[in-house]
Amino acid sequence: MSTVHDRSSTDAGGGSTYAEVQATEEFQSLKRALRRFVFPATAAFLAWYLLYVLMSAYARGFMDNQLFGNINVAYVFGLLQFVSTFVLAYIYSRYADKHFDPTADRIRQRLEGTST
Amino acid sequence: MTSTSYDVVAVAAVVLLTLGIGVYGLRLARTTSDFLVASRAVSPMWNASAISGEYLSAASFLGIAGLVLAYGADMLWYPVGFVAGYLVLLLLVAAPLRRSGAYTVPDFAEARLASPAVRRLASLFVVAIGWLYLVPQLQGAGLTLSATTGAPVWVGAVLVAVVVTVNVAGGGMRSATFVQAFQYWLKLTALAVPALFLLLAWQGDGAPDLAAPAGPVFRETTSVVLDDPVRVEVVEPVTVDVRGSGPRLLGAGEQLLPSGTLVFPAGAAVPHIDRIERATGDAWARPLSGAGGLDHPLYATYALVLATFLGTMGLPHVLVRFYTNPDGAAARRTTLVVLGLLGVFYLVPTVYGALGRLYTPELLLTGRTDAVVLALPGALIGGLGGDLLEALLVAGAFAAFLSTSSGLLVSTAGVLVQDVLRGTVRDFRRAAVAAAALPLALALAASSLPIGQVVGLAFAMAASTFCPLLVLGIWWRGLTAPGAAAGLVAGGGLSAAAVLSTLAGLADRGWPAALLAQPAAWTVPTAFAVMVGVSLATRDRVPADVGRTMLQLHAPESLGLSLRR
Repeated sequence: MSTVHDRSSTDAGGGSTYAEVQATEEFQSLKRALRRFVFPATAAFLAWYLLYVLMSAYARGFMDNQLFGNINVAYVFGLLQFVSTFVLAYIYSRYADKHFDPTADRIRQRLEGTST
Repeated sequence: MTSTSYDVVAVAAVVLLTLGIGVYGLRLARTTSDFLVASRAVSPMWNASAISGEYLSAASFLGIAGLVLAYGADMLWYPVGFVAGYLVLLLLVAAPLRRSGAYTVPDFAEARLASPAVRRLASLFVVAIGWLYLVPQLQGAGLTLSATTGAPVWVGAVLVAVVVTVNVAGGGMRSATFVQAFQYWLKLTALAVPALFLLLAWQGDGAPDLAAPAGPVFRETTSVVLDDPVRVEVVEPVTVDVRGSGPRLLGAGEQLLPSGTLVFPAGAAVPHIDRIERATGDAWARPLSGAGGLDHPLYATYALVLATFLGTMGLPHVLVRFYTNPDGAAARRTTLVVLGLLGVFYLVPTVYGALGRLYTPELLLTGRTDAVVLALPGALIGGLGGDLLEALLVAGAFAAFLSTSSGLLVSTAGVLVQDVLRGTVRDFRRAAVAAAALPLALALAASSLPIGQVVGLAFAMAASTFCPLLVLGIWWRGLTAPGAAAGLVAGGGLSAAAVLSTLAGLADRGWPAALLAQPAAWTVPTAFAVMVGVSLATRDRVPADVGRTMLQLHAPESLGLSLRR
C-alpha cells in the first residue's frame, strides 16, 4: 500500500512546497509514525472486542468463573472493554500531541528557514 | 392537573424552548459571518456536549431500553458500539478529513477523486441514510405521545416533523453549538434522575431478582389496553377478564387477543407478542443465548459490532461537527470528552430495560417495548412523583427527537439542494420541507420495528458505503473514481436491499432473517472488496494529483497546507 511517493513531485500542480515537504525525511517519518500507530491500534481494538464475543460464545465455563461475590469473569472482561476504549483514545491523544505536532513544527521551521 | 397535562406541558416546554433558542440562535448567527467560524472558538467541553447532544437520538433514549427488555444482554452491544464508533472515527478519519476541508462525505468524494459522478452517488446515500435514521425518530415521537397522553400515533410524528422543519428552514437550532450542548445535559438529566428514583423504589420493594428464573409474570392484577388485536403466544393457560364480555380462558399456544381492555390476574405468566419469544431470566441475562427469539446470536452480534463501529463515521450529522474545533489537538480532546459523555449516558438505559421486565412486562404482550422508559415511573412509583418523573422523561425524549432530527434534516436538505435536486429546487427551505415529508410519510405508513433496530440498520448502511469510501480514500492512494462508485453501488445496494426486506418482514426466522436483519458482516467486506478490486482494475484512473491530495490529508495543520483555513 502507498509506498509510491515520488509521483507527487511531478504531479503536484500547486508549486514546489508540496514536493519539498513530501520529500523531507521528517515528513516521511511522521507518516510512518502515524501509520505505525493508527493501524495496529485499530486492529487490536477490534480484535479485543471480537475476542470478548467469541469468549462469551465458546468459553462460557471460563467466563462464568466467580471472582468475588456475584461478579464473574464476564462482567470484569466487559467492564475492561469499556475502560479500554477510553484508555486507547487517551493514549492516541497523548501520542499525537507528543509526536505528531512537534514533528510538524520542526518541518515547518525548516521549510520557513530554507524558503525565505 | 392530571398525568396527561404534565406530559403536554413538558412537550410544549421543549418545543417552545427549541423554537425560541432557534430564533435567538439565528440572531446570533447573523451577527457573525459564518457559524463555523463562530463556533471554532468553542472549548472542547462545549463542543463535546454539542456532539453528544446531537448524537443521542430516540434510539439511545428509548430504543436501547426497549431492546434490552425484549432481547436481553446481547443488546448491550448497541450502546457499546454507538460509543466505540467514535474511537474508530477518531483514529482513522477525523483528523485527515478535517484537513481536507470537506464538510460532508460528498465534498470529500469530489475533492479526493475529482469525480462529480461519485459525488452525486455519495449524495444519494447521504439522503437514504438520513431518511432511514429520521423515520424511527418520528415514530418514537408518535409512540411517546400516544403512550403517555393517549393521542393518536400520528400526532407526535407530525408535531416533530413540523417543528424541526420550521426550525431548520428558519436557519436556527443548528447554528448554535450551545443549543445542542444544552440538549445533552437535558437528556442525561431526564434519563438519569428518574432512573435513580426507580432504583430506590426497587430497593424499597425488597430488590426482587431482575432475572427471575421463571420469566416475566404479572406481579399484580394488571389491565392491558390493546388498541388493535394482537397475536400472542400463551405458555400457561390463564383466565383473563375481557372488559365488556366477561372472563375468557386463554389456552396454551397461539391466540389472537381482541382489542379492548384485558385484565390479567396476579402471578400469571405474561403471554408475549408473536415476534418476541418468552425468555427465562437466565437466558435473558446470558450473552449469546438468543433470548427473545433472535436466531444466530453470534453472527448477529459480530454484524452489529461491525455496523456500529464502522458506521458512525458515515452518519450525515456526525462528521460535520468535527469542524468546530480550532485544531487537531482540540479535535482529539473533544473526542475524548465525547467518549466520556456518551459512556456515562449509555449506562442508564440498561436500568430501564432490566426494571421493565419486572414492573412493566405487559409491554412484551403489546409489543410496545420502546415505551418501557416512559411506562416505568407510573408502574413503579405512581402518584404525583410518578407523573412528574414521566413528564421529565417525555421532555428528554422530545429533546432527543428534535435535536437528532434537526441535525439529520440540515444534512439531508443541504445535500438535496446541492446535489440531488440541482436545477429544480434552489431554495433550502423547500428542500427542508421535501427532506422531512418523505420520512414522515414512511413513519406513518410503515409498521413499526423496534426503534433501536431501525437505527442499527442506518448504521449498517453507513458502514457499507461511507466507511470504505472514507478509509480507502484517506489511507490508500490507489482508490479510483470507478472503484469508489462500484463499491458504493455494491455496498449500498446490498445493504439497502437487506434493509427494505427487513422493514417489509420478508424473513422472520433462521439464517435469512439473521443475515437480512444485521447485514453489515457481509455487506461491509463486499463493499471493501469491490472498491479495491475495481480500483486495481482501473489503475490508470488514479487522479493525477493524488500525491498532493494525500499530503493535504496527512500533513498536520500547523504546516499550513490545508485547502481551507
